[in-house]
Amino acid sequence: MTTGASERSAAAGLRFALEVRSLTKTFAGIPALSALDLTIEPGEIHALVGENGSGKSTVIKILAGYHRPDPGGEVRVGGERLVWGSAESSSALGCRFVHQDLGLVDGLSILDNLFIGGGFSCRFGTVLDRASRAAARAMLSQVGVDVDPRQLVGTLSPAQRTAVAVARAMKDTASGAVKLMVFDEPTATLPDNEVNQLLQTIRAVAARGVGVLYVTHRLDEIFVLAKNVTVLRDGRKVATVPVASVDRKKLVNLLVGSELDDAHAESVAVHTERGGPVLEVEALTAPRIDGVSFTARAGDIIGVAGITGSGRETILGTIFGAQPRTGGRVAVNGVAIRPSRPSHAMRSLMAYLPPDRKISGGVMTLSARENCSLSNLAPFWRVPWLRRRMERSEVASWFARLDVRPPRVEADLATFSGGNQQKILFAKWLRLGPSVFLLDEPTQGVDVGAKAQLHHQLLGAAAHGAAVIVSSSDADELVAICHRVLVLRGGRIVADLSKGEITVARISGESLGAGAPASEQEVRVG
Amino acid sequence: MTAPRRRINFGFDRFSGAYLWVLFIVVFGVWTPSLFLTSSTLHSVASQEAIAAMLGIAVLVPLVAGAYDLSVGSVINLSTIVVVVLQTSHHWGMWPAIFVAIGVSVVIGVVNGFLVVKLRVNSFIATLGMATVVTAIQEIVSGESQPLPPVSHAWNALTQTKVFGFQIVVLYLIILAFIVWWALEHTPVGRYLYAVGGNPEAARLSGVNVDKWTWVAMIASSTICGIAGVFYASLTGPSLTFGSSLLLPAFAAAFLGSTQLKPGRFNVWGSMLAIYVLATGVKGLQLVTGKQWLNDMFNGVALVGAVAFAVWRQRVAGSKPTAAPEPSEAEAQATGPGGAGSTREAVPASQHATAAGPDPAHVQSTAQ
Repeated sequence: MTTGASERSAAAGLRFALEVRSLTKTFAGIPALSALDLTIEPGEIHALVGENGSGKSTVIKILAGYHRPDPGGEVRVGGERLVWGSAESSSALGCRFVHQDLGLVDGLSILDNLFIGGGFSCRFGTVLDRASRAAARAMLSQVGVDVDPRQLVGTLSPAQRTAVAVARAMKDTASGAVKLMVFDEPTATLPDNEVNQLLQTIRAVAARGVGVLYVTHRLDEIFVLAKNVTVLRDGRKVATVPVASVDRKKLVNLLVGSELDDAHAESVAVHTERGGPVLEVEALTAPRIDGVSFTARAGDIIGVAGITGSGRETILGTIFGAQPRTGGRVAVNGVAIRPSRPSHAMRSLMAYLPPDRKISGGVMTLSARENCSLSNLAPFWRVPWLRRRMERSEVASWFARLDVRPPRVEADLATFSGGNQQKILFAKWLRLGPSVFLLDEPTQGVDVGAKAQLHHQLLGAAAHGAAVIVSSSDADELVAICHRVLVLRGGRIVADLSKGEITVARISGESLGAGAPASEQEVRVG
Repeated sequence: MTAPRRRINFGFDRFSGAYLWVLFIVVFGVWTPSLFLTSSTLHSVASQEAIAAMLGIAVLVPLVAGAYDLSVGSVINLSTIVVVVLQTSHHWGMWPAIFVAIGVSVVIGVVNGFLVVKLRVNSFIATLGMATVVTAIQEIVSGESQPLPPVSHAWNALTQTKVFGFQIVVLYLIILAFIVWWALEHTPVGRYLYAVGGNPEAARLSGVNVDKWTWVAMIASSTICGIAGVFYASLTGPSLTFGSSLLLPAFAAAFLGSTQLKPGRFNVWGSMLAIYVLATGVKGLQLVTGKQWLNDMFNGVALVGAVAFAVWRQRVAGSKPTAAPEPSEAEAQATGPGGAGSTREAVPASQHATAAGPDPAHVQSTAQ
């Protein structure tokens, strides 16, 4: 590097907290990020949006020194050049990261969490409690929260926990001040009423002259928080625009092109002749489920709503046999399903998509093809070989049908983005041609485009005569796709809403036990 | 499929073993051609390592399904003693003796499976305990003295026949490797075993009978040991202690093999490659120096070195993140490997109570 160049960039460093120039990253020949340019000024909140697989996490991982980008590009933080693949360099230049997984220890106090990496006020090796507490309080107030640092982190609200993580990240290190704070979907798991508090925290960070890169799926937040927004699609930057110059519709169009509108329209156009009863659940009991009965017909799309702990999270697993059942009867097309026997349920063409694809949905170490075909290998088994070519072509056709990207059926499942993993696991069950398709949180952590695609597939399964049952904490999702919604509370069905009654307000009201909102109050037998 | 294939086809990460093998052959071939580049070296390396290679295959099967079998050394030893004692002390015929020796091994496999599947004892502990119990049984059977080798032409001919200059036991090894390769790679059974090893809960929810296949893997492991024990007895004669010395090489071959050919996955041919690459290197050095301790030194260094190399290679390629975030960065919360790396590690560790689940990815992460 010439002296001239370094002087120039030193001057530029005064203007930008982060400066990214033609950053490119290729994985096994597939570009994940193409020539990205991005600048963030000190104190600016810059939103980065894109569907899953659009390259957002690649950017973050390069900034964190986890991935080495292809040669050619450069990243400067506060004018200093980032050394590729070095987490030390990233940290020394003042980059900090706050992930969904905050890395806090619940069983320790806020104080201990803040200083566990070093920084306790000590004398003769003994922690000075009062001085440490004062320091902790100052750190917390910087991010706009006022809590006693002696409180255990486990007792805090989700937004407060995030604030503690931010406060910890804001600590200056010996090597220099914090210049760039990256938030990776910090609000994804926050309840709505806590989001505002977190946004305050983020504004407080920016107000201290730190550049903020804010990655999110929630578009509404961008409009109240960010100054500029950069949209990525398929690894390319579609646009960087001032937030003031776009509205939600325009932003969505930038994100997904026209895809969304089509798929969404189909989601709304709910239809089908309802057939005979396919799934019968009678007096089902299990831990947290207290006598649930309902019947689903072919073509039904039934939603299951309820707050955490209402039984909503376990009811589908219990029906399928993923979790033990203590009593009651489950039957598919008149055939009783034995408890705790997934393989038995599958023989009756019952399919179950578990809520967490990493823990119970997919085998991350196997390829997409192997995951997809695992549900039924019989069609490919001709003694003495598993016919891999048949297997590959069937999986490839599912890839095409669900638009899985990249279309590499032999890649490990772990290498796909969340939305694409979910599509692959969808295919795994759809290929059985299920009579009953149970889905737990089918679109959690999935981007807008993939979500529409998954909903579209779900409607297709119902149109082919399956009874589809979706358990979701996202009331919008249930409203969009269901003909009927069962609301659980305390392990019982407290409301059975049909088409006209399904609204977000109604679902939340019933879930919380507050009854229907005032406008649609009705007398219920309690 | 016209989709792009994997970029690296002859890369160092998958074929480092093969390149190393070529390197050994060239180096020792140039160094000491008169000793090293002979057919007798080839034949002796091939047959000397055949039994160890069979044991490598034996431990591989449960590892694929996410379980350890540490009893392999004891089982192969017991099988050797049983087949010999029945013939020399009890004057049984060769075939009934072989049948019983293998049968006893199958029973041990059934017990191992019972402990792991039904009693839910962690496989590491269950088979470690079983190993000790089996050693005790072996002492009972042998009366704590080394039995005399059976004297019969058929018994010697079992393994000491030559095929193309090789001891026939090499052919048995190839047949065994072929069968296990076929079962693991080309049948539904193999797919189920890999799924169980990768994520037992996801496998169960996909209709795979996790308990059954874990049990089958434990039985397969012991059975292979039983067969290998019979071959050892015929090839080398009875020994009271050789089994335990084969345990580490067997696991080394399996883990080293998981860095070869199909990186990140336990696989038969990778293990075969690993065991013979090491044997070639050791043989060459022994011919040059005449030192016996080279064997242990070489095996240990090669195991750690090869795994470290594979980790480095994968990290540079970046296509398969297996690195865990470094603890010192908890403060900065530097980006971890997202879903990929952490899952590969977390899932087996949580599903199997051992801290170190037998996931190749885990070994590699730990190596950092």
